[in-house]
Amino acid sequence: PISTGAVVKASRAEGGWRLAQQVVPSMPTEPEHALRPLHKNRFSTTAAKDIINEVLETKLKDKTYNAELTSQWSRDIADEIKMKLKALELPRYKYVVNVAIGEQRGEGIRIGCRCFWDSDVDAYADSTYKNDSLFCSAIAFGVYLY
Amino acid sequence: MSMQSSEEAAFVQDEVSSIVKESIDQVMQIATYNHAKVPQWTSDVIETCMKKLTLLNKPFKYIVTCAIMQRTGAGLHMASSCYWDNTSDGSVTQKWENKTCYCIVTVFGLAI
Repeated sequence: PISTGAVVKASRAEGGWRLAQQVVPSMPTEPEHALRPLHKNRFSTTAAKDIINEVLETKLKDKTYNAELTSQWSRDIADEIKMKLKALELPRYKYVVNVAIGEQRGEGIRIGCRCFWDSDVDAYADSTYKNDSLFCSAIAFGVYLY
Repeated sequence: MSMQSSEEAAFVQDEVSSIVKESIDQVMQIATYNHAKVPQWTSDVIETCMKKLTLLNKPFKYIVTCAIMQRTGAGLHMASSCYWDNTSDGSVTQKWENKTCYCIVTVFGLAI
């Protein structure tokens, strides 16, 4: 039987060496107490941005601003983006998604954010969608849990 | 490994709420909506908030968002969805307004 990381046992019997067990190199896995995620398990800004763009495009494509429905849309979009981020299956990451939808009446708006975190493992992705009657700004943050 | 007491390690909404309110009042008190100054105001509000939050010295990572909008009668809806640990993480949203603009600040605190 072949087991990962097994030690080679060679025995010397009559007529030469015989290999009793084979060493199979094991894939690097994250130990329970990891302080840093593996590179492939990091929050990727580009992947998250694609997810946000896709959700905004499908949900708001031909919609006009409507005072009653927009509050439901903003909640749906936030939940959908969060579910898709969960589907990326990055271990030990927490997600925060913020969505703002407003009517286009020529008003000015400025949305800013600042984060106090570990920039090595934590990241964010944002995107805006505009059409003639509404604009939508969505931002998703990924924070690693030590 | 000893665990921290739950009061120390949980996100305290009231404390953070009062910090946010103070920060907004400090920066936006005498402001009339001015398109050129808005980027500066958002940065100032966020930085003031952040400095005060870090002075709390809690084992938290913070995300502070600020939206300043002109009052033209247009509607705005904000929603957020979070995947975190309910017992230790939390968020606080504070709304502030004057005759010409609205300011909405949200703080998310995530335990490390």
